[in-house]
Amino acid sequence: MTRKIRAAAAIALIGATALTAAGCSAGGSDPSSDGGKVTMTFWHNSTTGPGKAYWDDTISAFEKKYPNVTIKAQAIQNEDLDGKLQTALNSGDAPDVFLQRGGGKMDAMIAAGQLMDISDSISSDAKQSISKGTFAGYEKDGKTYAMPGAVLPEGIWYSKDLFEQAGIDGTPTTMDELNDDIAKLKAKDIDPVAVGAKDAWPAAHWYYNFALRECSEKTLNDAAKSLKFDDSCWTKAGQQLEDFNATKPFNQGFLTTAAQQGAGSSAGLLANHKAAMELMGAWDPGVIASLTPDAKPLQDLGWFPFPTIDGGKGDPKSMMGGVDGNSCSAQAPKKACTDFLNFIVQKDNQEAYYKAFNAIPVNKDAQSVVSEPYLKTALAAYQEAPFVSQYLDTLYGQNVGNALNTSVVDLLAGKGSAKDIVETTNQAAAKG
Amino acid sequence: MALDTSLGTTPAKASGSTPGTSPAGSGAPLPAARRTAKRVADWRKRVEIAVLAGPAVIVFVTFVILPVALAAYYGFYKWQGYGPPTNFVGLQNYLIIFQDKAFHSVLMHNGFIVLMSLVLQGPIAIVLALLLNQKMHGRGLIRVLVFVPYVISEVIVGTGWSLMLQSNGAVNDLFQGMGLGGLRQDWLSNPDIAIWTLLVIISWKYIGFAVILFLAGLQSIPEELFEAAAIDGASYWQIQRRITLPLLGPTIRIWAFLSIIGSLQLFDLVYIIWGQYISSTAGTSTMATYMVANGRTSGNFGFGSAVAVVMFLISLVVALVYQHFVLRRDTAGALTERKN
Repeated sequence: MTRKIRAAAAIALIGATALTAAGCSAGGSDPSSDGGKVTMTFWHNSTTGPGKAYWDDTISAFEKKYPNVTIKAQAIQNEDLDGKLQTALNSGDAPDVFLQRGGGKMDAMIAAGQLMDISDSISSDAKQSISKGTFAGYEKDGKTYAMPGAVLPEGIWYSKDLFEQAGIDGTPTTMDELNDDIAKLKAKDIDPVAVGAKDAWPAAHWYYNFALRECSEKTLNDAAKSLKFDDSCWTKAGQQLEDFNATKPFNQGFLTTAAQQGAGSSAGLLANHKAAMELMGAWDPGVIASLTPDAKPLQDLGWFPFPTIDGGKGDPKSMMGGVDGNSCSAQAPKKACTDFLNFIVQKDNQEAYYKAFNAIPVNKDAQSVVSEPYLKTALAAYQEAPFVSQYLDTLYGQNVGNALNTSVVDLLAGKGSAKDIVETTNQAAAKG
Repeated sequence: MALDTSLGTTPAKASGSTPGTSPAGSGAPLPAARRTAKRVADWRKRVEIAVLAGPAVIVFVTFVILPVALAAYYGFYKWQGYGPPTNFVGLQNYLIIFQDKAFHSVLMHNGFIVLMSLVLQGPIAIVLALLLNQKMHGRGLIRVLVFVPYVISEVIVGTGWSLMLQSNGAVNDLFQGMGLGGLRQDWLSNPDIAIWTLLVIISWKYIGFAVILFLAGLQSIPEELFEAAAIDGASYWQIQRRITLPLLGPTIRIWAFLSIIGSLQLFDLVYIIWGQYISSTAGTSTMATYMVANGRTSGNFGFGSAVAVVMFLISLVVALVYQHFVLRRDTAGALTERKN
């Protein structure tokens, strides 16, 4: 009998010890404990090459400066990021810092109370070096919800060598000129335009730009609130795309071409001189650089803005463009998280960002080190643009944005018309 | 018939020994001591059953029953997944599903895959199984090779095939090299042929499973029947038609059932090869990819749950109908009530 009691006591003791131990360790890593050690998780989308190295270096520099903070970074493939992030936010297990694209996607997070208002934590240094207009994309009802990191104006990236081979002088400024150049490239058996339709959004960017030319600034922004696409300019933009698609400008098998992964992707085709052009945001030079045979920036890369069309209500100098930045989740340790956001946009870190990604930093002092002609042209066009629209899928949120993207792909594959784009997109709003 | 009786007797035996029907109440009154012993034994048996079956039941309820119930609940809401659902919309999600053209084409694709999988894989697998049932050199090796694709993970199969079938991939280059440049195709990105490409990949992947099942079925046919038929002067083809195929019937019916359910729920290969967005454009979307595209990828978790419920009901109805009309003789007594 006594033996049994003793055994039971031993078991109880072990159990109690285990419980205490578990309790202790849980308390120790509590991120909200002030003054103690803080651990944060950070999700970004730079899975390879210098981009990934940049984040690793920046994080270790930050940890050196703030020894009580540890940041665990996780690189997530770009196309998987939004879905994973939404699941994590839903389950209450969100990363503390994460990539923020803005627009309707950010609105949904704010409405759900998942984002930290960082308005009063932005350092005076950051306020001074980043233009007000850049912050505007991350503001809602007078509060700021993310720190911008890069400006990503969109345009057409092209290979100067291939243009030369096809006997093209200068760059096209109107759709007619673009069509002529495409004919010249085809005559030389060069795939004119690469598009990563497998990921849907790269194909949809063609539609966004036609919509930007056809629709007024007001129409684009109103649709973000109403999610109704009744204005005739939406159909007109689709017709523009239909006409353009009829000239068969895109690479062979574009439907299953990815945007950024491997030499067979649209960026890879440009990087390996298998296609002459690609419509893309200003992150493209970095992606292309990682896919060239020697993994160095493409020497003959050039940039020109999206051509103008005849008629249309949009300003011919308007641009599509996104801002990449980072948000803190509502549960993140406020001081450590905002310290990190402020740290990222310091001049030296922004210069390193530019070097790693080959993209335009938001910090005005750091912008002066940008030396590549293609980035300089893109930056100049961006600064001149009277209106820079957020990418439409981001602007209109995940649900409508996705439907818009896939209906554009349908049109390019010959399975839908300009009218279908408007119809599908209107229908999608009902599903949400 | 052998299968029939053996399956039929198992539950009968089991029910005879369950505590509820044990003959405690029927016989003459037992001495008190023995009765307590009996009670203890009964009690122990119950505990044993609870302990042994408990974990499995808990896991089943938590990961199968509960999600189905939750999906049914969420399906009545418009819900983005943030916080508890509040926007009750009744059957509106279901209305949208049944009016959505994309869902109609998804049903067509699934139906096509169900049918063509049976039509393509069935005959080929039977012929292969008959062939591999013969005594010949290298039989073991060929059996392994036929079965290997089934063992490889869907992700690897999907990635491998999609690389080979790219417009400038290995398959097209092979045709070009053999002077058959005219056969070059956009195997994956031409909406007219993409679903046929998918069928070929599915057949290649899953035929090994059918062959193994059929081989096992062939092993269970008694040798004497073939001998007797041969003595009666039946030809090889007569023997296959009159003896092998009928006796292989139960195996074929079970395989067809598994194939139908698998085709209805097809997801991974399509998702790997065509990605998150374009399977509907390529004409290869299935109910499952529709659910993911319109539910998770679009952030409409309420709508996605409703699609899941529709998918569940379709699979359930198909399974029940098939069991009732086709599998009834094979499983009489095991899955249906035993009739004497």
